[in-house]
Amino acid sequence: MSASESSVVVDEVSKSFGNVVALRDISFEVGRGEVVGLLGPNGAGKTTMVDILSTLTRPDSGHAWVAGHDVVSHPARVRQSIMLTGQQVAIDNMLTGRQNLVMFGRLQGLGKSDARARAAELIEDFDLSDAADRRVDGYSGGMRRRIDIACGLIVRPEVAFLDEPTTGLDPRGRQSIWDLVREFKSAGIATLLTTQYLEEADALSDRIVVVNHGTVIAEGPVDELKNRTGDGYCEITPKDPQDLPAMAAALGSLLPDEHRLEQSTDTGRITLPARDGADTLVEALRRLGSANIELVDVVLRRPSLDDVFFALTNESATRTSNPAAATVTT
Amino acid sequence: MTTWTMARPRPSPLRQWWVLTIRVIAPTVRNGELLIAITMSVGFTAGLYIPLNRIMATVVQVNYAQYLMPAIALQAVFFAAMSAALRSATDSVHGINRRFGAMPIPVMTPMAARMSGNVYRCVVALATAIVCGHVIGFRFYGGTENTVGFCVLVLLIGVVVAVLGDLIGMVAANAEATTHILLLPQITLMTLSVGFQPAELYPRWIQPFVRNQPFSQFVYALRALAGDSSGSAAPSRLSVVGPALLWLIGTAVITALLYVVVQRRRR
Repeated sequence: MSASESSVVVDEVSKSFGNVVALRDISFEVGRGEVVGLLGPNGAGKTTMVDILSTLTRPDSGHAWVAGHDVVSHPARVRQSIMLTGQQVAIDNMLTGRQNLVMFGRLQGLGKSDARARAAELIEDFDLSDAADRRVDGYSGGMRRRIDIACGLIVRPEVAFLDEPTTGLDPRGRQSIWDLVREFKSAGIATLLTTQYLEEADALSDRIVVVNHGTVIAEGPVDELKNRTGDGYCEITPKDPQDLPAMAAALGSLLPDEHRLEQSTDTGRITLPARDGADTLVEALRRLGSANIELVDVVLRRPSLDDVFFALTNESATRTSNPAAATVTT
Repeated sequence: MTTWTMARPRPSPLRQWWVLTIRVIAPTVRNGELLIAITMSVGFTAGLYIPLNRIMATVVQVNYAQYLMPAIALQAVFFAAMSAALRSATDSVHGINRRFGAMPIPVMTPMAARMSGNVYRCVVALATAIVCGHVIGFRFYGGTENTVGFCVLVLLIGVVVAVLGDLIGMVAANAEATTHILLLPQITLMTLSVGFQPAELYPRWIQPFVRNQPFSQFVYALRALAGDSSGSAAPSRLSVVGPALLWLIGTAVITALLYVVVQRRRR
């Protein structure tokens, strides 16, 4: 895909800080009006990626285009096309919500009266009328995040970067941000959303890019990623966690090796892919029954993004630590 | 969802600089920073002049207000620099600088706005200090040139220290630490200086430090520029003002280099 068809194009971008490799040959794209979730644990390189795309940091190698502009050679044009909300709410605490909006409006080049008019519109749209003339340091977390995002929407951005926008918010605050992101989508704004909450990426994203240790370990539509991990899952919990090794032995070929890696006495249960749906579960119960293992819980379910994530990160960990392990089967 | 009727405006760097300068200046009136700065100068003047005047007048054998004035002025701009540092650290910690960096604002504009804020703070500080000095009996005796020289030197010192403070504020991980980092050298240099008593009154072993450290050199230069009624002040020749200028230029160059390093490291 050429730079003109996608709002964000990242091509083999790498970045190191001293000896620490933050990103290694990352490539992905965000289409026009698409919401892409950049998902990964802390330290995976998500914020570094956002920093590069919003021109705060330069890549060591590779290229990136935002709204058709190269982030290294035309940073000023990129800055005119984006909005960025960082992990922290970046507004002026000494000002009221309205004053913040007017200030950002003036910084974006609006005249005084236009800036005031735009501020009033945004206050209305963001449901902040009651608090608009209070200083923002007295706002709740959700309100602060809303005004933070509103300050980025003075002029219509082509691309929005939301870096962990719901971290630290209560459920209601999180919900209000989720609603906003859905509105971005309906307004046709390409959105790159970084998050460590799988549920959030699942709820909001058209596509997900999973990063771990600075590399993309999986990419695709949410459903496709879920299907990669299998059609469904059986979760079987023994009465006595000591039975877990015996269970694994009894299940034999039903339990592929990459799932075997997930077993631990911490979770106290075994998870295996239900390739034949309920038939797999019946077969598993038959085998466990003949091994005389007492069970307390049996569940058959669709994979969650958590399953996908843990499976993927385990896969990549196994591949890097022991390339042979992933191919061994029992 | 919000409506998008407005065409993308073209931001002018000059207006952005002005908006950001107002952003720095306006709260100083509202949050009491200005009042605190003025009170500090008054307190500092009274706190030194009242207890020391009688003793020191016999020791230094000049009008003590004249002797004390440079220290009052320097203290005032140092305090202004600390407020600047605190403000810039707060911006850094709150991610405001980062946000500006991703907006269509020229890289140097936020810095230029903070600089204007610093100049404003230093001007207020100097004006307050001169009023305080005037009340206890300080007068300029050096003619217009030397008087302008006095004011310009104080402002330059204030701005350079403010930029240094701004830099420390940008780098420091938290705003409170910034104040502490700046307070220690400030107190050390001010108390172990010739600002309120001559170097000869200090123990012999520390006298070289007291004489040559920057605060004292600034005081010597300012005292010469202010002059005095008896004409016994050192003349404002290069031998007196020179070391102060060297300290100032040296600090400015090092600060500028550090600024470049910090900005580079962030890329």
